[in-house]
Amino acid sequence: MVKEIERAGLPVVHICTVTPISMTVGANRIVPAIAIPHPLGNPALTMEEEKHIRRKIVETALEALETEVDDQTIFDVKY
Amino acid sequence: MKKLELGNILIHDVQFSNEGSKVENGVLYVNKEEICKIALEDENIASCEVFLARPGESVRITPVKDVIEPRVKVEGKGGIFPGWIAKVDTVGEGRTHVLKGAAVVTTGKIVGFQEGIIDMSGPGADYTPFSKTMNVVVKMEPVEGLKQHEHEYALRIAGFKIACFLGELGRNVTPDEVKTYEFDNIVESAAKYPNLPRVAYVQMLQSQGLLHDTYVYGVDAKKTLTTIITPTEVMDGAIVSGNCVSSCDKNPTYVHMNNPVVTDLFEQHGKTLNFVGMIITNENVYLADKERSSNWSAKLAKYLGCDGVIISQEGFGNPDTDLIMNTKKIEAEGIKTVIITDEYAGRDGKSQSLADADPSADAVVTGGNANQVIVLPPMETVYGHLEFVDTIAGGSANNIDAHGNITVEIQAITGATNETGFNYLSAR
Repeated sequence: MVKEIERAGLPVVHICTVTPISMTVGANRIVPAIAIPHPLGNPALTMEEEKHIRRKIVETALEALETEVDDQTIFDVKY
Repeated sequence: MKKLELGNILIHDVQFSNEGSKVENGVLYVNKEEICKIALEDENIASCEVFLARPGESVRITPVKDVIEPRVKVEGKGGIFPGWIAKVDTVGEGRTHVLKGAAVVTTGKIVGFQEGIIDMSGPGADYTPFSKTMNVVVKMEPVEGLKQHEHEYALRIAGFKIACFLGELGRNVTPDEVKTYEFDNIVESAAKYPNLPRVAYVQMLQSQGLLHDTYVYGVDAKKTLTTIITPTEVMDGAIVSGNCVSSCDKNPTYVHMNNPVVTDLFEQHGKTLNFVGMIITNENVYLADKERSSNWSAKLAKYLGCDGVIISQEGFGNPDTDLIMNTKKIEAEGIKTVIITDEYAGRDGKSQSLADADPSADAVVTGGNANQVIVLPPMETVYGHLEFVDTIAGGSANNIDAHGNITVEIQAITGATNETGFNYLSAR
């Protein structure tokens, strides 16, 4: 899906846990997620802490969208 | 030097008995009440039924929770299933008796997904190794309202207890054959076989959470760091299964006890290679865990001075990444690898087989394509619950036709594409 949308001319950020697979399949902008069963949350945290990490992931993804890349790039989230 | 003797008592039939359970002249006699009493010791188990399933019978067992081989420790430290049934003494030395040819198969409504089919005859029987064993099928249902983890735990432990009870019946029986497995420490073996290539086995253990867990000496594998275990320990049940989802490529406890990679490496030890040890590593759902565990696999393979390793995967999907990480990092240490996996290449076999890949993974043994479709004709008897067969992995809605034929992918069949080679699929 990432590749097809990019082929249509729109930049894509792939948020995913297993970034090596994202690299293998050819995503250009990758943001690491939390874990496979809960990519965008963490049930071990409080609601407030979860909201914080979610916001950070989304902000990182938005920044990645605005960033020019020459090669496949992983944008680490700064929690 | 470590030595374990496996005394195989060959079981060629299983029968019910109104007297006490016993092993006599290669027949396992099972008293239902004795089995159910063990299961019902656990207040979380509400009901227990016992059935027998023999090769060639028109019997289907589904869903399959676990398959376990009855064994008993007759000499040496510790006992079978350390950390669960026995205390945590280090096992793998002395003598163990095996009811070879018998198996305990646990069934009943299982937490969440209801997975795994064993057909004792017909085309499905060719795909599961457990159509060839004399099976004591134990169907257990939980008390109402039991939570998922407690349910899984109750069934798992009951299976081990029953297997140990049956194994105990072989304590004083003279085995039909005795196989000896000797294992030197790394200094001794290096001195004995200076010219043979040093080969280790890296076994990846499924550890993704409920119904996807494996345990080592009672410890949840997802909470472990990659470590070394001596290969005879697994023959005494040091590694056990807590997983049965997509059962074609999960290792039931029976497979851990009879791991063919271990026995084949023993077979070649001192002849074509020096089997230096076994590394066990997990397959967790966090990327950092995957990185750390595979880093440690490579570190330990190097530490053992390996020239080559065999890596077996358990499961598919994201564990493909663990597999490729292990391969890449071990190869980067100058150690050759062969990987054993299976494939999800689509029903036509034309899709990419693994979710991840790398040029260093250039020696691959496959257990088969789990998406391959098979039609299973109806069986006269079903032990367990057939009603779930359309919702299991490899199944699909309305996949039972008017004649009772079930169309499924072979991933629904217990052990069909096993990634330790404990299966029957072959290109030959």
